[in-house]
Amino acid sequence: MKILTTVKKVVDVELNMHVEDGAIVEDGLQYVINAWDENAVEASVQLKENNGAETTLVSVGGGDNTDMIRKCYAMGIENGIHIEDPALDKADSSVFAKVLQKVYEKGDYDLVITGKQAQDTDSGQTGIMLAEYLGVPCVSNVIIIEVTDEQHIKVSRLGDAGTEIVELELPAVVTVTDSINEPRLPQMRGIMMAKKKKIQAMDLAALGTSYNEVGGAGLKSEVVEFMASETRKAGQKFEGDAAEITAQVVNLLANEAKVL
Amino acid sequence: MAKILVIADIRQGVLKGSTAELLSKAKAVGAETAVVAIGSNIESLIPDLANAGSDTQYIADDAGLELFSAGPYASCVVDAARQFDANLVWFSFSESGKATAPRVAAQLDAACATEITDVVLEGDQIEVVRPAIANKVMQRVKVNTDKLVAVVRAGAFEATEGISGTENVVRLSPPASDLKAVIRELISDASGEIDLSDADIVISVGRGAKDQAGVDLVKELANDLKAGFGSSRAMVDGGFMAHNKQVGQTGKIVAPSLYMAIGISGAIQHLAGMTGSKVILAVNKDPEAPIFNVADYGIVGDLFEVVPILREEIKKIRN
Ligand SMILES: Cc1cc2nc3c(=O)[nH]c(=O)nc-3n(C[C@H](O)[C@H](O)[C@H](O)COP(=O)(O)OP(=O)(O)OC[C@H]3O[C@@H](n4cnc5c(N)ncnc54)[C@H](O)[C@@H]3O)c2cc1C
Ligand SMILES: Nc1ncnc2c1ncn2[C@@H]1O[C@H](COP(=O)(O)O)[C@@H](O)[C@H]1O
Repeated sequence: MKILTTVKKVVDVELNMHVEDGAIVEDGLQYVINAWDENAVEASVQLKENNGAETTLVSVGGGDNTDMIRKCYAMGIENGIHIEDPALDKADSSVFAKVLQKVYEKGDYDLVITGKQAQDTDSGQTGIMLAEYLGVPCVSNVIIIEVTDEQHIKVSRLGDAGTEIVELELPAVVTVTDSINEPRLPQMRGIMMAKKKKIQAMDLAALGTSYNEVGGAGLKSEVVEFMASETRKAGQKFEGDAAEITAQVVNLLANEAKVL
Repeated sequence: MAKILVIADIRQGVLKGSTAELLSKAKAVGAETAVVAIGSNIESLIPDLANAGSDTQYIADDAGLELFSAGPYASCVVDAARQFDANLVWFSFSESGKATAPRVAAQLDAACATEITDVVLEGDQIEVVRPAIANKVMQRVKVNTDKLVAVVRAGAFEATEGISGTENVVRLSPPASDLKAVIRELISDASGEIDLSDADIVISVGRGAKDQAGVDLVKELANDLKAGFGSSRAMVDGGFMAHNKQVGQTGKIVAPSLYMAIGISGAIQHLAGMTGSKVILAVNKDPEAPIFNVADYGIVGDLFEVVPILREEIKKIRN
């Protein structure tokens, strides 16, 4: 089985963020692998270890992605592709999905594993759109992937009414959520080996496409402004004798906030 | 006039309140409204669908649609959207909505936005507002086409009293089933418990509760208040709480009038699911816990000591 895993470099959400004049202030920001993509990498590596598979990752955009891709190599991914093109700066999920489609079509893959969503966009669209463009089946929000035979996998997905168990014919796309696994920490040996591995880098032309062809010229939507989100203010904090402060807070909930 | 198609949020045969919320907003922005309802044995919901504020009801009622499957569900929505000639297609915040919206957008060649919290229509121009980067920022998004498929964030719109629609039923032919993605089984979540997204009070338990005994202690408080009982991811990972009880970025988004975070630190991914609550109470033994930055009322203390007192005091005040 050949697995393609998609990995995006995103802004670290744990750090503070400020908005000025409709844009995010870049100062002090750091960029990391998207958390859900780390789950996708772990899922791919587990399939390789348990069922035998060839694992390739692809990352689109993000500038210098070397560290991130090496980290994935150290976790056990075998091949890495980085598509970089200045035209991709404004790309949305649909454009990324079309670029990924081109990568997929060059590689004869059986399974694509993407993260449930990217932490910078919080869109949750790319993997599902990729499947639509490819005309292959897709299940999102997956927590278990099992290989049934050469042509099929069985996945569990967290749905609205419970856990849905779906049998998928390959090739297919699955998007994974963080409950699927606990991404491993790269070990020293893996880190050393990762340093020697090549990253296949190319631009859109080398991929055999253009910004127009992937829909970049006619973006269906674009972010025109960033705004600070409404932050809640810290309210009243009570410390001291548990019985006393708890009674006080219950009284406030009932009589001041009127929610009890 | 813009045309807005709302996908009815039907769970276990019941029409959720979010459907009326979306239709109310659609009417408020002056749009013509329609709803599409997908499922099995849903005929009886038609009056409710009209009352919720729709002027046309597209009904896809078929035994094959009993269990959610993104492919066939998307086909029904696309069919209705084409018949209605919708400009905006709105899903309620749900796992099925999140799975279906991007498919529908791809098929309609429309723009797609998830978790929108507001929409502005000016002439033919559509703009939406949505949070991004784990709620750290908001984005204003301009739509460059005349079609947008969107998932509306839980709690973003309110239902208006006294809104109504007219019954005008259009039956959709059942879609082909997805032979390449076959649902084998649905392992249902425990039923009979209060759905977090509906509850007026939600009480969530975190790692501070340590084990099953701690979880049970907090659950008693939830039972007293007939509150929804939720959890941080830590207690789901620990196996103490079911997946569908997780509040946060990868779980449920809740906006009750009162949210109690008991033994929860307040990680950004948890906050993303609950800061829309009207009032937040936090109980945590660490005075520096980030949850206190968003809590209206904070009790610094040991939950094993505080929760029993909370129960007693609430009982007193309620009598
Ligand atoms: C991609 C991604 C998605 C995620 N999605 C979610 C999500 O949807 N929802 C979610 O909740 N998390 C999510 N997380 C996990 C999140 O980052 C935190 O790890 C998690 O929320 C922590 O849970 P907690 O607050 O219960 O545990 P902890 O962070 O361990 O906090 C426990 C708290 O309990 C307090 N405490 C301990 N003992 C007591 C006591 N006796 N009395 C009172 N207080 C006590 C401690 O002071 C501490 O503040 C996600 C993470 C990632 C990377
Ligand atoms: N530029 C990109 N490069 C590689 N993978 C991506 C890119 N954008 C999105 N993806 C994948 O698609 C998932 C969903 O992204 P999004 O639709 O932006 O929420 C991410 O978790 C990634 O796995």
